[in-house]
Amino acid sequence: MSVVRNWSAGRIVSLLVLLLAVVVSVFPFLWMVVGMSLNPNDVLRGILVPGNELAQNWEKATRNYNLPLFFVNSLKIALLTVVLGLVVNGIAAYGFEKYPSKARDRVFGVLLLTMIIPQIALVIPMFRMFAFFQLLNTHAAIILPGIMSVFIIFFMRQNFKMFPTEIMEAARVDGAGEFHIFLRIVTPSMQATYASAAIYLFIGQWNAYLWPLITILSDKGKTLPIAMASMMNAYTIEYGALMVIVCISVLPVLVLFLTMQKQFVAGLLGSVK
Amino acid sequence: MEKRGIYQRYLNRFGWLCVAPSIVLFCAFMLYPILSSLYYVTRRWKGMSNTFIGLGNFARMAKDNVFQNAIGHNFLFMFIQVPLMIFLALVLAVLLNQGIRRFRGPVRLAIFLPAITSLVVVSVLFRVLLQANGMLNNLLLEAHLISTPIGWLNDSGWAKVTIILAMTWRWTGYNMVFFLVGMQSIDTEIYEAAEVDGASKIRQFFRITMPLLAPVILFSAVTSTSGTMQLFDEPNILTWQGGPANATMTAALYIYRQAFFINADFGYATAMSYIVVLISGVFAIVQMRLLGDRRSK
Repeated sequence: MSVVRNWSAGRIVSLLVLLLAVVVSVFPFLWMVVGMSLNPNDVLRGILVPGNELAQNWEKATRNYNLPLFFVNSLKIALLTVVLGLVVNGIAAYGFEKYPSKARDRVFGVLLLTMIIPQIALVIPMFRMFAFFQLLNTHAAIILPGIMSVFIIFFMRQNFKMFPTEIMEAARVDGAGEFHIFLRIVTPSMQATYASAAIYLFIGQWNAYLWPLITILSDKGKTLPIAMASMMNAYTIEYGALMVIVCISVLPVLVLFLTMQKQFVAGLLGSVK
Repeated sequence: MEKRGIYQRYLNRFGWLCVAPSIVLFCAFMLYPILSSLYYVTRRWKGMSNTFIGLGNFARMAKDNVFQNAIGHNFLFMFIQVPLMIFLALVLAVLLNQGIRRFRGPVRLAIFLPAITSLVVVSVLFRVLLQANGMLNNLLLEAHLISTPIGWLNDSGWAKVTIILAMTWRWTGYNMVFFLVGMQSIDTEIYEAAEVDGASKIRQFFRITMPLLAPVILFSAVTSTSGTMQLFDEPNILTWQGGPANATMTAALYIYRQAFFINADFGYATAMSYIVVLISGVFAIVQMRLLGDRRSK
């Protein structure tokens, strides 16, 4: 299959291009990991040799910038969104797919249509709504709008298509209730789908910026992205401490990606299938 | 027959029960915001009070240079960054698919890695790397490619390049994976047949790979263009509030600043968001049409 088998000019060029792409892609990761141990000036200069200020930077990140609190805030918001999102979107996808009706298909069509509406067009009325209910500056304000996702319903519905309806009918003959069928028979065989959806929901909320930026007004309630962004507003930036926070904020997503690569990419590619 | 009708109705009711929670959330956080925006768009805020001004917000937009330039920047990023990124992603996908066999997995993983970072992290990292006395300028100075530091963040032209660089770093590997999956799903027999007919590799790429990959490329183009229309994190953090002097101001950022920063005019901000929705909608329709045409040929 390969175009060129020998060490021809074409092969060398293509290898060099790939090598360059790998270096450019990976360099910032190396730099930010090494940066955790450097003084601010060396971080800025892009030094790739570890220094000896790891402890100081860690101390600054946790003391001056409240890293543990922001981490816990981010984690709490993301995990609650995942749990509620899996329950709500999972059963919705199942309902749309396995109980066919014209009316529900029309509703589903409306849901899909709203996918093109950019978030910026929704945040102003939402801000007014949360202000009215006095829910601004609470984590509920971030979690609630993040639970239902049209994309996740669409993605899970595609996967529920593959579950044979005959099995559901056989269970009905055996006297199983509808809810029992969903919970005990369908859901357990859909673990991979749920895993992909969970990863997608987690990352979406873990990385969210615009809506938390609008709703979180106090220092205590900040999430990691908000904390990082506001660090950049300071007159003097503690680059070493910044790299600690950046690394901590990338780490959970990296771990998810490396351990569950298949589901991770499935979540991304689900919409193409 | 009667019994079956009752059972069908029971199943139908269970179906509604399943979708009910999501529909409630949809009404609260999608439908209600959309409907209430119809009220906001006709009003002008002054302090805490607001008055009806009909289509006055749209008239104001026609005179607002900052907004018009912001839309222009969105288009600039769209027309330069999206094709550049798709081209790079295609090249990398082809090289990875055909150029190497050993280390294919690790190389793909490495190039995909930027896609796991958040836009905030990308913006923060690039803002540090691209400081006047930062890493990239140092590198270029030491290599004698430039004699004075480039104003990646302070020069109105270079700041735009900076945004494009950051977006391309973040999204190229992501799109490459889409293309790779698309390429690998093409039947190898088609290539074998072309080989027998004496078609060159380049001809095979343009006559087989590209047409069969068109839907995937289009999907990337659609999601990327709608992404560039929503550009917010990068200009707000990387080039600091759309700076220098609004040189990287985007529509979403300007809307945010009008509503929550400058003068809390929710009416004007809503009206501008309508323009963004309109543009996104037009792009989506055009691109879907293109896809439809390709398929019918």
